[in-house]
Amino acid sequence: MGYLSYYTYGFPSFLVVVISLYLLFTDSGEAFNVGRFLEETSPYAWASTGIGLCIGFSVLGAGWGIFITGASILGGGVRAPRIRTKNLISIIFCEVVAIYGVIIGIVYSAKVANIPEAELYTRENYFTGYALFWGGLTVGLCNLLCGVCVGITGSTAALGDAADPNLFVKILIVEVFGSIMGLFGLIVGLLMTSNADTFKGATLAVVSPFVH
Amino acid sequence: MSLCPPYAPFFGLGGVASAVSLIKTSVGAALGTAKSGIGIAGLGTFKPELIMKSLIPVVMSGIIAVYGLVVSVLIAGGVQPKDYSLYAGFIHLGAGLACGFTGLAAGYAIGYVGDSCVRAYVYESKVFVSMVLILIFAEVLGLYGLIVALIMNSRATEAPACL
Repeated sequence: MGYLSYYTYGFPSFLVVVISLYLLFTDSGEAFNVGRFLEETSPYAWASTGIGLCIGFSVLGAGWGIFITGASILGGGVRAPRIRTKNLISIIFCEVVAIYGVIIGIVYSAKVANIPEAELYTRENYFTGYALFWGGLTVGLCNLLCGVCVGITGSTAALGDAADPNLFVKILIVEVFGSIMGLFGLIVGLLMTSNADTFKGATLAVVSPFVH
Repeated sequence: MSLCPPYAPFFGLGGVASAVSLIKTSVGAALGTAKSGIGIAGLGTFKPELIMKSLIPVVMSGIIAVYGLVVSVLIAGGVQPKDYSLYAGFIHLGAGLACGFTGLAAGYAIGYVGDSCVRAYVYESKVFVSMVLILIFAEVLGLYGLIVALIMNSRATEAPACL
């Protein structure tokens, strides 16, 4: 068990130290330039990664929640078959999280337009790329966490319902609190990209000396 | 190196994302809700009349999520493509991280405390007051992060003008 911490903490730190010392001693310390990396990567890379992670993480959260809840409903339904139909509400709460991801994915993809390379690197396009990346990551991860949370509480709601039918509605309140997180992610994702225009070409583009 | 490079919004938007999601308030709120929810369901099978009072940890986890939302909305209002300095970008990143990490800690605490206290409440009804006191202290951790994030955000408007 101690070897696991060597691999997770020791090996990456070792790599970082070796690479930074190599850059230092071969007089190429200027090669480590965060600003240059951010300016020379294409805004399309950021935007597409954000959109992909948005839908990917949202669906992961929804699926995870559905299997957590579904396993409990099916297990509890063996001795208490009456819980089967009512507890599908918990499954729907998890599904909604995936729908949020789809909505944001569609809204974001509308901002991606085809611009020739020479006109691509403007300030506004950089901003749009970053906004779609962080927005997609926000929505995706919020939905992932929301889906897992709703799944866990849905599973306990199903088992509580199997024990005593009056409990279901009360534990549903906890699920509603869990699902607000996905909604917050949606709100923030839309807010972040409200200032971002679609990709536009410009006559006088290329604000950066690092882009060739 | 200019004061307002084109990659400055990367850090500002990272702050917005940090406050609401990446490591942060959402993890705390999700943990708090799920863990307390399990305890509440356990309590409900023995004493259903106590469920409404035991929803307090869940509500407080929701408040942690609201803190993250407030900070995110405020920072997102300040990030723009033009006239955005690197100074403002880093301050926004710091504010988001401040709110996010404290929200994570507060939500974690609320979840574990809520779970144990609610399970104890089944047997002994006097623990309710102590539970509320402990939860308030945990909630206040998130509030500290919110305050620091708001103070930092107000400093970001003093950014130097871009040429």
